[in-house]
Amino acid sequence: MEEGHNSDGKENALCGRSLTAASRDGGGRMSAVPLAQRKVEGGKVYSGDGVLGYLEMLEAQAHELGLKQEEKEQQEKKLDRLKARVQELRARRDELQAKVELQEKRLLDKEALVTDPARPSAQTVLEWKVKSIKGMLQVFYLTGISGKLTKQGVCFCISTAYEGTYLDSYYVDLLINPEVKIQRHSVPVFIPLEQIAKKYLQSDIRRFMSVLSDHLNAYVGRRHQADQLEEHFSDRIEGTLQRNSLCNLLVFNYTVSSDSKTFPFNVRLLYGNLCCSLPTEAILSCTPGTLPLLAKMAAAHSNTFRQMALHKAFDSIINAKESQD
Amino acid sequence: MDSSVYQVYEDEIQLLEEEIKLLSEKYEDIQQESTFFSDEEVLMSAKLFQREFLREYKGYTSPLDLKAELESLERDLSFLMKFTGIQITSHSKKTLEKTVNRTVRKHKLSGNCQSLPFCLEFQLLEVQNKENVSAAITDLSIVVESGLCSELSKFVASTEEHGNLLMFFRSFSSYAEWCKHRRCTFLHFKAKYPNIVILPEGLEGDHIILRNPQLPGFELTIVWKVHISEEGTTTPVLDLLPKVPEQVGEQKKAAIDNAPTCFRSMLLLFGIETAIENLIQAFSLEK
Repeated sequence: MEEGHNSDGKENALCGRSLTAASRDGGGRMSAVPLAQRKVEGGKVYSGDGVLGYLEMLEAQAHELGLKQEEKEQQEKKLDRLKARVQELRARRDELQAKVELQEKRLLDKEALVTDPARPSAQTVLEWKVKSIKGMLQVFYLTGISGKLTKQGVCFCISTAYEGTYLDSYYVDLLINPEVKIQRHSVPVFIPLEQIAKKYLQSDIRRFMSVLSDHLNAYVGRRHQADQLEEHFSDRIEGTLQRNSLCNLLVFNYTVSSDSKTFPFNVRLLYGNLCCSLPTEAILSCTPGTLPLLAKMAAAHSNTFRQMALHKAFDSIINAKESQD
Repeated sequence: MDSSVYQVYEDEIQLLEEEIKLLSEKYEDIQQESTFFSDEEVLMSAKLFQREFLREYKGYTSPLDLKAELESLERDLSFLMKFTGIQITSHSKKTLEKTVNRTVRKHKLSGNCQSLPFCLEFQLLEVQNKENVSAAITDLSIVVESGLCSELSKFVASTEEHGNLLMFFRSFSSYAEWCKHRRCTFLHFKAKYPNIVILPEGLEGDHIILRNPQLPGFELTIVWKVHISEEGTTTPVLDLLPKVPEQVGEQKKAAIDNAPTCFRSMLLLFGIETAIENLIQAFSLEK
């Protein structure tokens, strides 16, 4: 009986201590997890009731608090790392900014090209020269024909442009020995490469490149004009613009107005010269019966299409119409 | 602690890294564009480099890499200049604007096309898209010696207006090649028939005169112009201008009036050299 009392007292004392301990560590939180749950946790079998059960519960709590503590410390460490990195990068950025500003100031002070007063190393000079030549090779790209020598010949690059905007570039890899042959190329199938090669490749490579370049530039020019028309005037075109892969046949519909009545026009553009980006024929048709009225307009439009780039011609036609109305 | 706190810092880190990349590229660009080393200095450095390497190297597995790269690039450039006939004698560029996606550089270029000099300036805008870099020319300014050729001036003005640098080079090369071909042909005939062929404006002129010493007052002028349209197509245009003394009879006059047409037919059938050859032969035998 006395023992029973003592054990009860001990239990109470333990309880009291555990309560205060909990309040010191976890900010007063005491996980009131039912002992039944604890019994299955971690595969351990708790004894369930009594002191042992309680101790195990406390141990689990402490463990959990420890984990939380660790997680918090890690988060703080990560934050510190990020802050430090930001500082480091800011410093580097400021340093570079100062360097660039100094460079620019020096350039303004003395306009003439000046070599570094400290004698540059041979490597610096060579690296400068390499960059300088790469710059010149880029200029050749802008001229339309550039390339690189290869072990068996030369790989040419034909660049295309329309009025200052550079568009696709195409490659022709040539073998020189025993005779000039095309090893590889990226020219589209609808460009008559074989015919051009047959005619010029053996006798005059320069002429071959020039003619091929004419074909490619004209094709890209026609395609670009059609793209521009679709991009800027899709609302003025009825339906869609129809074109073939070579972009030398374009068909589309638009409406014209005369005496406050609207009439549909159909345009058929034929580019007979594959090296040219203007149409050789512009056939305008309208609904039968309306032709006599619109003949003059149709003729004028046909002329415009044949003389100007497609998107510019259409723009001028629309604006002329609007000024008429 | 939620991830949004990190995000703020991570965003700033990314921004700073981009800024740093941009600034270092800018620094390198300005460094490159404001330095100049002559060919002799480059040659000397190439020799020095191999020696210096034995002491310490930076970033290359062998000294030959840098030298080999330089030599390969120089070979490529020299080949291109020879092949296209476009000799670039000086090239300088200046970076005007540089952001993450956009670079604007001003280029100054001078050289000659088959010995016809040109000098031009332009701005090149490069924009970084998702897949590639797009390039466009603005502010194109071209100077060539057009002399009395008004067509050439019109062509140049048209290309300047549209920023058509590529077309300028292709058409100007073609024009220069025709001029070279004309010069060679004139030279050939002058050498072959020194007594008959006269070059009143020298080899650079656009016409030659045929005079037979046995037929005084009788002259044939062969005019050879190189037309260049505003769209850049170059075509040679040849014609024959006979000069006949007054005393010639009606019959002969008719034959002579027919001469230019015959000459043009010959050009179409036989080509320029053969047509001129036939004409000179016929003329020198004329009594």
